[in-house]
Amino acid sequence: MDFRWTQEEAAFRARISDFLAESLPADWERFAQHGPASPALTKYAEEFCGRLAEQDLLTPHWPVELGGLGLDPWHQTILAEEMWIAGEPRGGQYMNINWIGPTLIRYGTEAQKSRYLPPIAEGRALWCQGFSEPGSGSDLASLRTRAVLEGDTYRVSGQKIWTSYAGLADTCFLLCRTSEDRKRGISILLVPMDSAGITVRQIPSLIGQGDIHEVFFDDVAVPVSARLGDEGQAWEIIGFSLTNERLGIPRYALARAALDRAVAVLQAQGEWAGEAVKIEAGHAAALCEAARVASYAIVSARARGETVGAQASSARYATVMAERRVCEFITEYLPEALADAHSYLKMHHQRGIVAGIAAGAAEIQLNIIASDVLHLPREPR
Amino acid sequence: MDLSLSADQTAILDALDALARPYASAPLHDAGFALTSAALDRALQEGGFLDVGLDEDLGIGTAALIVERLTRLPQATPLTSAIIAPLLGVETTAPICLIETDKVHRPVRFLAECARVVVVGDTVTSFIATATQIRAEPEALFAYPVGTLLARADTREQHDIAPETLRTHWRIALATEAAGLLAAALESVCAHTSERQQFGRPLASFQSMRHRLAECQVRTNTLYWLAMKAAHTLDPADAALAALHAQESTRVCVYDFHQFMGAMGMSLEHPLHLWTYRLKYLFGELGGRGANALAVALSLWG
Repeated sequence: MDFRWTQEEAAFRARISDFLAESLPADWERFAQHGPASPALTKYAEEFCGRLAEQDLLTPHWPVELGGLGLDPWHQTILAEEMWIAGEPRGGQYMNINWIGPTLIRYGTEAQKSRYLPPIAEGRALWCQGFSEPGSGSDLASLRTRAVLEGDTYRVSGQKIWTSYAGLADTCFLLCRTSEDRKRGISILLVPMDSAGITVRQIPSLIGQGDIHEVFFDDVAVPVSARLGDEGQAWEIIGFSLTNERLGIPRYALARAALDRAVAVLQAQGEWAGEAVKIEAGHAAALCEAARVASYAIVSARARGETVGAQASSARYATVMAERRVCEFITEYLPEALADAHSYLKMHHQRGIVAGIAAGAAEIQLNIIASDVLHLPREPR
Repeated sequence: MDLSLSADQTAILDALDALARPYASAPLHDAGFALTSAALDRALQEGGFLDVGLDEDLGIGTAALIVERLTRLPQATPLTSAIIAPLLGVETTAPICLIETDKVHRPVRFLAECARVVVVGDTVTSFIATATQIRAEPEALFAYPVGTLLARADTREQHDIAPETLRTHWRIALATEAAGLLAAALESVCAHTSERQQFGRPLASFQSMRHRLAECQVRTNTLYWLAMKAAHTLDPADAALAALHAQESTRVCVYDFHQFMGAMGMSLEHPLHLWTYRLKYLFGELGGRGANALAVALSLWG
């Protein structure tokens, strides 16, 4: 076991950190209070990601032939940590880089790769994921949005909800039902969001403007060539995607950075003398570092080429615990942060509510751990 | 960064597993709280397993891997020695008993005649205990053999070690042992609740139990990695974080483990208590959660 960063990894982190320091505007921390899917941050992210791409820092973990540098998962982690600590200036494009792109690389046709990967690698694309429905949240396999094949075209009808980035996205990674089989009846279509028959309605959210939406599909025509993988292969593909998604967001790094910032503010204000505040901060730090090292164990396995299974859910749940404890610490000891006194801490708090809900609720992670790590008997259905 | 085991670490753990296999299940009827095995202790000594920390190439990191693995056994062994002895520059032929100057009245595990008592205060000193300086506590509930120190030796060996360095190693030992104890306890509870049927199905198929056991898995897994990191970096902050997480995870998990076992959780015929009541001992070490949380705060933020 070696817990030290290599010189090359440390230099990579320093390079990203320097780039952020040079690139982000002076008022960035206040600007970042715009939600990651807001029009303002989406517009800024397109410029920012373009510059990242010019520096080979947008998709460095992608294969060389697809616009990347072929760097290992450690570099992906370092990049993601630095971006999240900074407040994620890539906006919604982080999702393209973390899992949309890798999923297309693994399961896409050559035509799909040619069409979709270059815009992602150049920082020009924004995707949304059409997963949840009004009646299908955690029980994703019950989804009802239907795609009926007529000749070489699917006709798609149904409704998605809680869809991040849908208001400005150019393409939807859409889960839809192509047969009645609960899991093997689900397929993936890559649907342009300007297709006739799509209507998007924004839902006000705690995270910020433009984050979540309802998306209505009214007899939308989608060519069969836009299907990712085989008909009925969606469950396998999203299993791969969500493993990347669950590890792709290093919320522990932002939580720890927010905790450090909060302590610095408390010290400057003379509110760091008592034991109670230090004990609570110590507990929050322990959970942040617990989540970090559990995530690193997963990254290490991936770097060795091992298949990562349910342990990713364990690391993800650890991150939820850390995020909550830091939010509670700041709410209790620095409540003015929530009243806009400290932009960075407010930004963290707004985004923290997502940790246990998005990309599979925390309770779903516990179910996965119980069944696939502890091998406990499943609940009867 | 690479968190896989080195070839040496893999070989050592394979050999250790072979040695430990015969001890994995032990008759419990007459074992009481403090199950020990002189044969296991002797085999570990002869194999040199507890002295790997003295090898510069293997170090405390490999010693911690061994300690974590051995802690899962039902038998209690003086494993702290494997983490502390390299710092003192002594071998592990006698148990090393750690004691803080302001808490000398507390029971100390493995405190017996010929044990090396290490006293940590503003300095680090040690002495070899004599029979008159100790009192065994056979009725103690800690699942370790424990004793109380009645008197310190007038003449003690002075160690040129900063007390905080000793405490860092102590925290690493605490966290490493707790990681193995939690893992063994969790495994035994999962096995029982997966087999035990109530209301026509296994207890562990109820979501109220599945979720809490899964949370215990998250804590056990994260503690393992925090402890291993601290043992490999020897960083004071890493050690304090690991010790705090060990004690907080003990608070969260131990009573749930007994609760899930039902009446079996009250029985000395099941080994659960051997792990959980050792965790209770570790729960109060180094001042408990409050003191270790303060140590985290001090090391991270001053």
